[in-house]
Amino acid sequence: MLVLRQDINELLTRTGPGTPMGELYRQYWIPACLAEELPEDDCAPVRIKLLSERLIAFRDSAGRYGLIDEFCAHRGASLWFGRNEEGGLRCPYHGWKYDVTGQCVEVPSEADNSRFCRNVKLTAYPLVKIGDILWTHMGDPATRPPLPEFEFALVPPEQTYTSKRLQQCNWLQAFEGGIDSSHVTFLHSGGLKNDPLFKGAKGNEYNQKDTKPFFEVADSDGGLFVGARRNAEEGTYYWRITPWVMPSFTMVPPRGDHPIHGHFWIPIDDENCWVYSFDYHPVRPLSAAERQAMIDGHGVHSENIPGTYRPVANRDNDYLMDREKQRTGEYYSGVKGIAIQDASLQESMGPIADRTRERLVPADAGIIKARQKLRKAAVALRDHGTTPPGVDPAHHRVRSAAVVLPDAESFLDACSDDVRVRPGVPIASV
Amino acid sequence: MAPVESRADPALPSSCARAATAAEARHRIQRPIAPARAPRVVALDDGAVAVVRRMARLPWANAQFYACEAGGEAVVLRRIEGRPAGLADELVAADVVVMIATDDRGAGGAHAIGTACGQRGIMTAGLVVAGPDAGADTHAADRAVAALRPHARVLLPGADENDVVELLRALRA
Repeated sequence: MLVLRQDINELLTRTGPGTPMGELYRQYWIPACLAEELPEDDCAPVRIKLLSERLIAFRDSAGRYGLIDEFCAHRGASLWFGRNEEGGLRCPYHGWKYDVTGQCVEVPSEADNSRFCRNVKLTAYPLVKIGDILWTHMGDPATRPPLPEFEFALVPPEQTYTSKRLQQCNWLQAFEGGIDSSHVTFLHSGGLKNDPLFKGAKGNEYNQKDTKPFFEVADSDGGLFVGARRNAEEGTYYWRITPWVMPSFTMVPPRGDHPIHGHFWIPIDDENCWVYSFDYHPVRPLSAAERQAMIDGHGVHSENIPGTYRPVANRDNDYLMDREKQRTGEYYSGVKGIAIQDASLQESMGPIADRTRERLVPADAGIIKARQKLRKAAVALRDHGTTPPGVDPAHHRVRSAAVVLPDAESFLDACSDDVRVRPGVPIASV
Repeated sequence: MAPVESRADPALPSSCARAATAAEARHRIQRPIAPARAPRVVALDDGAVAVVRRMARLPWANAQFYACEAGGEAVVLRRIEGRPAGLADELVAADVVVMIATDDRGAGGAHAIGTACGQRGIMTAGLVVAGPDAGADTHAADRAVAALRPHARVLLPGADENDVVELLRALRA
């Protein structure tokens, strides 16, 4: 019996229009780009490919954001070449102009009093700034859910930082790394000792002393909680609790008073995805040193090629593999940085991992369960129109946690408050 | 003889990370993968026996299914079709033991199996499935989780029968 049938792998990995997983993604508000990519009114438009649809994002003269079909309705030229001026984006080929709703507002070749342009409208999606991200909803406007309420995007700007990077593989294998706690002890072991955004926490000692954690995988309203349990002091366990909110939001359990971090994995097409990585602190501003470390690519962030969101270390240069540092253990895999350590191995699996050839083990229960939930949700949506978990903003109000509990306690019972957003209350962290 | 052309990057596509491309992925070895050697699936209580009995009817490669009966000090194991079995014998070839519980009446069995597996280096997983009395006894699952927690390296509370199937499939049982 196959681990995962090829048809299910196809169902889970294809996100273009009309596919079950693509329709699932279109139920959610998802990151379209960083707000910094459209820094001012009438700035240059940005090409964006999302869920295999080619789009243009722009910010008009009044500061309104738009996300519309990349190509002019006239002859199909890319509007990336467009002139962003006087309340709209004008195709430089023949001067057709569009507003942020995709409505054509000017066709210069028509008579002055022509009504022709009223009948020309490009596909358009909403683009809304919340925190450092511009979010879009690419589904049916009639079922558009309320705006997202993830805590990292709602805290004051001085308490949060978000970056993004290109990952050259399917979204699912990238996302699965986010709920796979067992790889941290190995792949990221160097980071626990050296990374300025990780090191120094008491919890790191538990991580390093007990390399064979026990796992519990429990359903939540929006997805899952994955608990990793390690031995702590006599009669206690150290628990690291990772929430997953469907379809692809995860948070890494915190370490000491370091900012708390997490990710979104957003399909560009079936063989590429954007990884949005954030750090925030719910009760204090990020220090200058912390923010600089994030900008420099430490923690979950990456050092990108200037002017792009492609990491400096990428598959064209073998991720700058350093065999000497692999040998000494400074970087367990020989690749520098937590983000690129993940990217290098996940991209090496191929553009779309062939899950029919996996040899999973019980420790992969989180991944097994997540695939099952995604498949069930996609099929329920397709067959019955069922709204999937994670659409309701109430499901977004989760936190990760890292706690020491008496050995008889259930992590979900003991941490039911810790894994929920409580404004003004510090994260539960060791 | 023509001079050898110097190249800035001597690596061939298949000898560097670029082998991750779709074109190179076509050349991956496709030899069949062997199934798991000997997964053991054990029902720890009466409610779990019904679940495991249904699982046993599905096609599996090498999985074997058992019911664990409370029997004083020693754990009494039976094949799901009723034939007696000895825990030590059944663990000789096992590479993973999956325990299914619906309440805590199998706590003794979980302890015995977990201890035996720990001594032999055999991986354990536990699934707590809502049993037939779940409506009447809302704490049965919590007690089952508490009973399994020390003995299952991977624990799925709140599981259903689909989870059992998915886990066993994933293990190539």
